[in-house]
Amino acid sequence: MVKAVRGVMVKCDASIKAMLIDIDNKNHNDFIIEDLDEEHLLVKEGKIMALKNRLAQMMKERLKDPTEEIESGKEN
Amino acid sequence: MSSQALEYLEQLPLQTHKKLYEQPSTVLAIFRCMLPHLAKSIVMAMLYMPMPLSSSDLDAWFRPSASKLQKDSLYILEKLHILELKQRDTSRQIEYSLAPGFSKSLRQALEGSGTHRSFGVPAPQTGERKVTIQELDDYAQGQWESLLFYMVGGTVGFQGSVGGDIGQGTKTLLEGGGFVAKNHGKIGITRTGFMFVLQDTNAQVWSLLIEYLKYVDNLGLGMSETDVLSFLFMLGSLELGQDYSTATLSPTQTIMLDDLTAFGIVYMSHKNAKTFYPTRLATTLTSDSGALSTTNSNDVAAPGTGATQKGFIIVETNYRLYAYTSSLLQIAVLSLFTKLTTRFPNLVSGKLTRASIARAVQTGISSSQIISYLDAHAHPQMQKSIPFIPPTVTDQIRLWELEGERVETTNGYMIKEFSSEKEYREIVKYADDLGVLVWKDDSEKKLFVDRIDQLQEVLKRQANKRR
Repeated sequence: MVKAVRGVMVKCDASIKAMLIDIDNKNHNDFIIEDLDEEHLLVKEGKIMALKNRLAQMMKERLKDPTEEIESGKEN
Repeated sequence: MSSQALEYLEQLPLQTHKKLYEQPSTVLAIFRCMLPHLAKSIVMAMLYMPMPLSSSDLDAWFRPSASKLQKDSLYILEKLHILELKQRDTSRQIEYSLAPGFSKSLRQALEGSGTHRSFGVPAPQTGERKVTIQELDDYAQGQWESLLFYMVGGTVGFQGSVGGDIGQGTKTLLEGGGFVAKNHGKIGITRTGFMFVLQDTNAQVWSLLIEYLKYVDNLGLGMSETDVLSFLFMLGSLELGQDYSTATLSPTQTIMLDDLTAFGIVYMSHKNAKTFYPTRLATTLTSDSGALSTTNSNDVAAPGTGATQKGFIIVETNYRLYAYTSSLLQIAVLSLFTKLTTRFPNLVSGKLTRASIARAVQTGISSSQIISYLDAHAHPQMQKSIPFIPPTVTDQIRLWELEGERVETTNGYMIKEFSSEKEYREIVKYADDLGVLVWKDDSEKKLFVDRIDQLQEVLKRQANKRR
């Protein structure tokens, strides 16, 4: 029997996907329904905003942005 | 014409549609503004047909290559219950016919027959001075701008208001619709609100009215949805500068008048006036010509607002932005995505920065919304070059957005566990034709679609076949 599952399709590049899976693993697999292929994930509908926030946080911690300081200096 | 209105109409049940179609003005408005061109042609061709049309005859009207367009149009017509499907018992052939209520009203509207009064009743001439179109425009513009400013102003920290206060009812409505949210007692704009502010006026009016419809429904004041809707469609067919009698309105519609006056959609000289005037916001509801701001740019400009209504934004290739405006509303909108630094009596200047764009993106404005806003309000000097906004700037805005948004998300449904390759292929092809296919995996026989309602019928048919 054909089944239809509600969810959010997330398209991102492989490096981001690795981070998303990392977040999922650390949180009792609470976000991701299915790992589809290199660039796609199926995520629970209610959880997508929370997942995005975690990702943004993680990016901030891991990737220090060199351009940030230069730019803010330029503006003054 | 705004697509939200169509979406809202589509999800109404058959009963509501039937009642709506009793009003010729409603039918004409839906026909003129909601239907895609092909659907209009189908309706027109079938309007005076005495007999139902068999599906094979209908198919013969279309080239095979246009099957996607044909499907789309028929789908909309069926959804709106304009087209009725019947299966002839003997030959099992499907026949199409227009819903009787719809075709009757459309004929009446086109021929001007019947005694329905659904296009409004002009008030009898009295000695009283008539309100001029100019005054109506000013009123509508004032009301609408204070409404927008209420949403934007709080967020960017401006005090006071441009026009008057917008009334408690409107505030509740905006909050209920999720356009603004209260945070620590302060009004802040939401993602939906941003999209709302950056839309053109006509789309804004519709979004607000649809919220209004939902709101009235939940209130349980006994105001009927059909009554509200037919009144809105009637407003769209009225003439600007003409006053109409309130005597023929139903009780629901009389209550509505108060609310619509607060939005600036209709004008009444005082609360218990016997007549009302539709403003430009109302008369453009069901037409393609834009409301307020665009009409002003066509040199019907209202004095006093003139300069700010035409293009006023200059963007240089070094991301500096100059806006010739003194309108608080426009400054507030600009400050949503610009780092404004200086303000002069008729000019504000600032810079589009990575931080300012990132902030906007985070709160939910997309780069394309920003670009289209800049584009739509580009200064006449900027409009001499094409594209109006320097490509380096637009590209950079897009890149800045991409930096913040590393993932692309689509809501929808994953369909899987097909019992045969053939069924899977059939569904994939159908989904692709409809343009709802987002992702598929042939080896796993899975696909992801962003809308499922049209597919459901095919899936059901497949299931039945198997039984």
